Amino acid sequence: MKIKKVLAIFLAVILAFSLVACKGEDDKEADKKLSDESDSSSDKSGDSKKDAKDNGNDRAKDEGKSNFSGTTLRVYTHMGNRVLGEEKKDENGNTYRDESYAYLKHLTDRFMEETGMIVELNVITNEDELRPLFQVKDDSVDVYTAPNWSLEEWAAYAEPYFTVEEGIEQYGEYALAMPTVGDYIYSVMPGRAYNQAVVYNEEVIKAAGYNEIPATLAEFNDMCEAIKAMGVTPISLHRIENWPLATVQDFAGYVAGNANVFAECLKTENPFSEDAPFGKTIKMYTEWKAKGYFEPEIYTDFGVAMDSVAYGRAAMMLFGSWVVPQIQGRVPDGKDPSIIKFAPAPDFGQGRYVLAAPADNWAISKFSKNKEAAREYIEYIANDAKFIADSGFIANKKGVEPIVPELYAIIDEMVEAGKCNVLLSPAQDENYLANQEILTEAGLWADYKYVGLLFDALDMANPNDWSAYEKQVEAQNKAYAMYKEELGLEWKE
Amino acid sequence: MLRESKLYRVLRYVFLIAACLFVIIPIIPLVFMAFKTGAEYSTTDVLTPPNNWFNTYNFRYAIRVGRLPQALLNTAIILGVSLSIQVLFTTMVSYVLHRFEFRGKKIIYGLFTLTMFIPVVTTQTVVFQIVYRLKLVNKMPSVILLYSGVGIVGIYIMLNLLSSISKELDESALIDGANYFRIYRSIILPLLKPACTTLVILNGIAYYNDFYIPNLYLNKDVQTFTVALYEFFGNMATPFEIVSAAILLGIVPIGIAYLFLQKYIFYGLSGAVKS
Repeated sequence: MKIKKVLAIFLAVILAFSLVACKGEDDKEADKKLSDESDSSSDKSGDSKKDAKDNGNDRAKDEGKSNFSGTTLRVYTHMGNRVLGEEKKDENGNTYRDESYAYLKHLTDRFMEETGMIVELNVITNEDELRPLFQVKDDSVDVYTAPNWSLEEWAAYAEPYFTVEEGIEQYGEYALAMPTVGDYIYSVMPGRAYNQAVVYNEEVIKAAGYNEIPATLAEFNDMCEAIKAMGVTPISLHRIENWPLATVQDFAGYVAGNANVFAECLKTENPFSEDAPFGKTIKMYTEWKAKGYFEPEIYTDFGVAMDSVAYGRAAMMLFGSWVVPQIQGRVPDGKDPSIIKFAPAPDFGQGRYVLAAPADNWAISKFSKNKEAAREYIEYIANDAKFIADSGFIANKKGVEPIVPELYAIIDEMVEAGKCNVLLSPAQDENYLANQEILTEAGLWADYKYVGLLFDALDMANPNDWSAYEKQVEAQNKAYAMYKEELGLEWKE
Repeated sequence: MLRESKLYRVLRYVFLIAACLFVIIPIIPLVFMAFKTGAEYSTTDVLTPPNNWFNTYNFRYAIRVGRLPQALLNTAIILGVSLSIQVLFTTMVSYVLHRFEFRGKKIIYGLFTLTMFIPVVTTQTVVFQIVYRLKLVNKMPSVILLYSGVGIVGIYIMLNLLSSISKELDESALIDGANYFRIYRSIILPLLKPACTTLVILNGIAYYNDFYIPNLYLNKDVQTFTVALYEFFGNMATPFEIVSAAILLGIVPIGIAYLFLQKYIFYGLSGAVKS
């Protein structure tokens, strides 16, 4: 009988072992304690922030080493190519990592040597990998990059980097487009980039009879026809993923000649109709699709899409400057990588534009125990114009002499000559967030559905039949108007 | 009648061949890609065979850069320890549930069954916090602990076999002076060997292929095979020719295990259904 009781107790223990999804009061208390400790450490470091920064910098100057010498910093970045090296092909066509392109690793080695700090670089495939650690307030992350986080996540998991006022003082108007909640900017973006332009293979367009990207939409379409006639794909879109549709959102700004075009959807009831900037832009994209300008095949991943341009099987991509070094790195052995060039988009009705935006999100973890050392590391990055240029961006901090990569000089020259205008990436203000909320409620926001559903509505088996597209326009306009009214959101001056 | 029988036979073979093709076709591009160069992968169709079937560059690269041997060793350690613990606990639990009558037995059995209906992902936030508080995150014991729990499928398999083991054997041993633990160790456990093998194979394959738990709980120093594969995936681009070579290397150990132990898998599945 006794042995039965022992076995029954044993069974209960096993059961408890397999049912770990329980949380008692003790756990909650422990949670609170952990939270309090973390908050208090956060507060303390916040108070001492300025003093420590000043003292640290002074002492570093005096001794040649940082005040945080010996401190171990853990850095997590999604830009693996800057740590491991660019993926390239050798003379036999085999893939390898060229470590001379591991710019962040080289910069970090220098930083460690100069400051005496120890920096562990960790590559993450996406920022979701950090989320579980932040949810338990783990202090093992000090510095990280996370370009796709929402403002709520920035506020929850990042230490305020500086106030908006301080940000403007150091980075000018670009600070307004950095992740901001209330009076604080949570992630500093030390570079700036030209987004949503034409990245093209010069050899292909020359073969089609063009020396540069044409200035007007009509000429651009003619060039696409000429490229298509050569049996080459004019534009590599990589539609199998949703994120490439982000370009459409920015191109709408070019169509309207107004960077705030997304937020200004609030001013209309029918943002997807042809007479509104968004509707016009999505229709332009869908017309390109109907004409067969995009790739007919499905690329297995974005690397293959980039290879299509590098190898000359496609002529162009419509993305930002960040993609240029990656495509250049993929140009086959024996060819000059500089055949991959960068130019502003053609005139869609209001002139030629490029979108200038701050680039490269660096942040300090809210739960880091080395916040000041982390700040020193990020500032080291922000002050290194060469590293920023190697990363495909232009140093943006005041007082730092920028190195403009030769590739982007064409944009600067065109801007100076008045042939191209720069639109500054808009801030995510109240109107922007209100429009986003309407689209979210209408089920159109996630994965750029408001673009994708329209773009996919045109059946390529019958590209002249636009009835399904028109129906989708009507459905989206109706949904937008309904949720706008239901949520009571209007444009605010 | 004869014509009907022939038609039936033809149809049977047609369906079997179609079923085989469904399974084999996805593996063909994988094999092709593993022997292609990066340039070939980018410029040819997935169903185009490689130019050089002796190109072993991708395999060598995967082994060296992906540290696959270390990852396979880590996987073997995790599987070895966790499955041993699981087999021990599952056989003990099943023995008690099958052979003894005690208050609350049905409740315990019901609770084990209930765990089957709770999706693992829904409890992971809380489980992660518990494992974190135990200071096991980024350490191999975290995954071993999570894999060692007793599952209802294992209990079903054991109970099915226990039903065919005569209770008279236990009683004879009791008369001869054996205590319950001795009966479990010397009679029940050896007789449960086929079911234990089935459990090891079924959960072994599942744990070997699992990505979610090791990716969440382990860092790079102790990564398992599936997480090592993920290391090749980039934020934007992935060299799939190297990933394919790595996958082929990973299929080898599990394929060998399957060849030697397949009869136990079929036994276990049919047994579980009967139960």
